[in-house]
Amino acid sequence: MSDPTQHTVKSYEQELELLKSIMARMGGLVERQTALAIKAIVERNEEAAIEAPELDPEVDELEREAEMLAIRILALRSPMAVDLREIVAALKITGDLERIGDYASSISRRSLKLDSLDGNMSMTGLKNMGRLVQDNLRRVIDALTQRNRDLAIEVWQADTAVDELYTAMFRELMTYMMEDPRYITSCIHLLFVAKHIERIGDHTTNIAERVYYAVTGQMLPSERPRGGLKTHPSE
Amino acid sequence: MPMSAALAGQTSVIDRPAVLSVKNVDFYYGEHKALRNISLDFPERCVTGMIGPSGCGKSTLLRVLNRMYDLYPGQRATGEVLFDGRNIIGPDIDLNRLRARVGMVFQKPTPFPMSIYDNIAFGVKLHETLSSSEMDARVEDVLRRVALWPEVKDRLKASATALSGGQQQRLCIARTIATKPEVVLLDEPTSALDPVSTARIEELLDELKKEFTIAIVTHNMQQAARCADQVAFFYLGELVEVDSTDKIFTAPRESRTQDYITGRFG
Repeated sequence: MSDPTQHTVKSYEQELELLKSIMARMGGLVERQTALAIKAIVERNEEAAIEAPELDPEVDELEREAEMLAIRILALRSPMAVDLREIVAALKITGDLERIGDYASSISRRSLKLDSLDGNMSMTGLKNMGRLVQDNLRRVIDALTQRNRDLAIEVWQADTAVDELYTAMFRELMTYMMEDPRYITSCIHLLFVAKHIERIGDHTTNIAERVYYAVTGQMLPSERPRGGLKTHPSE
Repeated sequence: MPMSAALAGQTSVIDRPAVLSVKNVDFYYGEHKALRNISLDFPERCVTGMIGPSGCGKSTLLRVLNRMYDLYPGQRATGEVLFDGRNIIGPDIDLNRLRARVGMVFQKPTPFPMSIYDNIAFGVKLHETLSSSEMDARVEDVLRRVALWPEVKDRLKASATALSGGQQQRLCIARTIATKPEVVLLDEPTSALDPVSTARIEELLDELKKEFTIAIVTHNMQQAARCADQVAFFYLGELVEVDSTDKIFTAPRESRTQDYITGRFG
């Protein structure tokens, strides 16, 4: 067995590399979209709000490219074992990335509407959620490009904090709305934004699960254990 | 029952008791050691696929299982192959009886130069005494089971060598199962056949495994993936890994298995 990292058929190797680079490129774009969206909402930055949705067409195009390439490899190469897992993971991961991009665009658009509305809500909750979700997204894309199962499992476990922040925000906004009905429109927009951020967190978790499976061949449990996993499920 | 459990039915059949049990077998072609300490169970009514690069020992192991190697001087096996409570590579084994109980189908179809009917009747006569109507019934039964009957029923007395390659191979399988074996060994049975004939043989394996324990050597990994319940990967005379087919092809344990099945070999 000469060099076990390389396929005997070089064009096959190149196709797999291409698929990985499409995913990495998508990951970078979606990370940027998310950062812009958080900036747009938290700092009320109009430029950022306009830029985020502009990246959508490229993300969509990359998703289509990845899908066509994955189907082509499946049909022509009959991938097995780690290759098969990576391709199936790529199909799902690019779908998750595309959704994250959509949520980011949606957050940006809402931030533009908020400017013309009443009320001066505290942005602390959103800021914290945004920071956490961005951090997780950055780490999951690192895990994806480095094939790092430990990092994937860290991200997978980190989403609980995002969910808790979302629940807290939900209560907070509800209170505002009950206090003064004039705030309802802005609060609803903010609630959607919070929900979108929470959904970005969920898709990030999905990506972590896919990366873990592609690398180890083991599925993470369908429920995240409270208090975290002590060891890898594969051990 | 969740869907995955139904699909996993494929993996549970390999927990059935072993019909053939290979224990610590070494094999020598003269001085050359071709198998190193092989231990492998063949579960009852399962298809065991044996894969690996040329010269890895998979066909050699198949030849041990019905002592085909006995025909060649200088070839010997050590260790144990338990079949029905006896070590079949030990002394005092009736080889004709063994080969009727452990039948073999080869890479190239090997019909005898006689009629289709006699190709099947010939082997049966060696082991059983049947009346002519019983023999007719046996011939029809096995030809039906290999799905050859509709194609040959009107020309049973015609020479078997006039059949197509795919038909000849199905005839050879019919001939093998006509002696009512417990185990059927197949050594790359479809490598000389076109895709349609190959699909028919694979379909046939699905039927045959309801009754027989099957071991198939194949170079075609997709074939092992399609047909086998468990797959054994051999490399340089060693058994590297054996596991359920879905495990081997989605998440093998050994890096050597992964390198081979993903095509990352030298």
